[in-house]
Amino acid sequence: MAKINIEETKKLAKLSRLEFTDEELADFVNEFDKTLEYVEKISKVNTDDVKLFEKTISAKNELREDAVRESLTQDKVVLNAPESEDGALSVPTTVEEGGQ
Amino acid sequence: MDYLKLNLWEIKEKLESKEITSEELVKLCFQRIKETKELNALISTCEEMALKQAKLIDEKRSKNEKVGILAGIPIIIKDNINIEGTKTTCASKFLENYQSIYTATCVQKLIDAGAVIVGKANMDEFAMGSSNETSYFGVVHNPVDTDYVPGGSSGGSASAVASYQGFSALGTDTGGSIREPASFCGVVGLKPTYGRVSRYGVVAFASSLDQVGPITRSVKDSAIMLQVLAGRDENDMTSSNTEIPNYLKAIDFDVKNLKIGIAKQFFNDQLNSEVKEKISHTIDILVKNGAQTVDLDLPSFAPALSVYYIISSAEAASNLARFDGVKYGRRAEKFSDIVDLYFKSRTQGFGKEVKRRIMLGNYVLSSGYFDAYYNKAKKVQKVIKKEFDDAFKKCDILICPTTANPAFKIGEKSNDHLAMYLTDIFTVPINIAGLPAMSMPCGKNKDGLPIGLQLVAPMFNESVIFKTGSFIEKALEGEKDV
Repeated sequence: MAKINIEETKKLAKLSRLEFTDEELADFVNEFDKTLEYVEKISKVNTDDVKLFEKTISAKNELREDAVRESLTQDKVVLNAPESEDGALSVPTTVEEGGQ
Repeated sequence: MDYLKLNLWEIKEKLESKEITSEELVKLCFQRIKETKELNALISTCEEMALKQAKLIDEKRSKNEKVGILAGIPIIIKDNINIEGTKTTCASKFLENYQSIYTATCVQKLIDAGAVIVGKANMDEFAMGSSNETSYFGVVHNPVDTDYVPGGSSGGSASAVASYQGFSALGTDTGGSIREPASFCGVVGLKPTYGRVSRYGVVAFASSLDQVGPITRSVKDSAIMLQVLAGRDENDMTSSNTEIPNYLKAIDFDVKNLKIGIAKQFFNDQLNSEVKEKISHTIDILVKNGAQTVDLDLPSFAPALSVYYIISSAEAASNLARFDGVKYGRRAEKFSDIVDLYFKSRTQGFGKEVKRRIMLGNYVLSSGYFDAYYNKAKKVQKVIKKEFDDAFKKCDILICPTTANPAFKIGEKSNDHLAMYLTDIFTVPINIAGLPAMSMPCGKNKDGLPIGLQLVAPMFNESVIFKTGSFIEKALEGEKDV
């Protein structure tokens, strides 16, 4: 039985902020079925006694002093921005005129 | 003498005795990089910066000033690690022109130790791949036979070291991305314990699994590199302050009474017969020299790959959400509003494999599937970790193949993503458990392709890997001489 259908893939693509052609989406359904069937193996492992929120790595918790430190300069922060103005990142209008 | 073909520790001695200057060495290196350009191992080079550093080191040396332990040695860095003054592309169209605005701690440590950074290595896009075929900058070739893949995702790093473009290269390993390419190219690749090396400045793929490590041409070189790289970094809260031993003390030891764990799951019928033969032969050598074997059972080995693809894709989907075409990277030229800008920029910027992982990651994280996939995978991860912990109560080190088969041909698996994922079957369980492991060459198949052997140790015990690895290296070298 198929584990995922085309509608679900469309929803996933929207959540992922990715666009696909119908053909690509159909490929995904096919691929996902195979991948999900494969990863299903984990359902056979008995995990009744496993506590999810127990630490895996036995590291000691370490706190740092809450002190002011040097951080990146404004110039550096906008260096890679596709568009910037006066040290700020530019984006298209997100609130319509008269909007909230 | 071909200085470029020496090991890192050997060239270190030549530089120290002033037999060759760093400037001369760096120039030879760039000549070699040009000669081997067709391998496509590097995305960019930093000749000007490298020569400046080399001259500085030579000057210090001529004045008998103190220099670091990597002084004057040319080293290559994977292109998902930031170095101020270079581009860091992650082999993605999205970051094609991204300029690093700061330097990663691991690179800074190398520079502070005197290393000369010569270039940035090609890789699978965002480190997602096992063959270096997903790079926006084209496939990387295996120097052993250029029809074959170098492995991935640190394929450029392994190809560069195997073709003598540098004396070591940094890679990153989330599910085998240092060890698998090292195995395919016949070099040494170390994935240190999770937390041993700082990831500050390394572009994240799956944050709970990623680790930085060196690719070298000898085990001793690997120990020298880790000595420099290891340690706590206040900019990476996951880096560990566990004491750093003197790794070089582990080199040139015997293996008497060493308990080697052999899990039956590592020697299944999927294992290539030539790989099996070489690994068994190496184990025999160790036994002849006083080591003992211990039979182990690691039943959760099989589901480890599933656990890996669920956890790593989920984390990748979250980590890659930051690439929106606003803060940095590529922005689509045409869009209707801010949301459309996200859609278009991401769709145009990411390659197919990256999109596949984002989709899978968001699927396993979405409501209705979260418990069945993500939470279940996190639980199975604990079962796997416990099995390894129990195994190390009975032995000092585990030995297994790095991959079931030697390198495959370019294009051979690129249309079958599941077959590609299966390449990592022996390496991913190690990341799932957070353990250190090294791949080292242990022979070649009949076609001359290298075969990799994997040494796995308890957390923070890289020393036992260096001890066993250097012994194997010497023994196999001795056999060649006979």
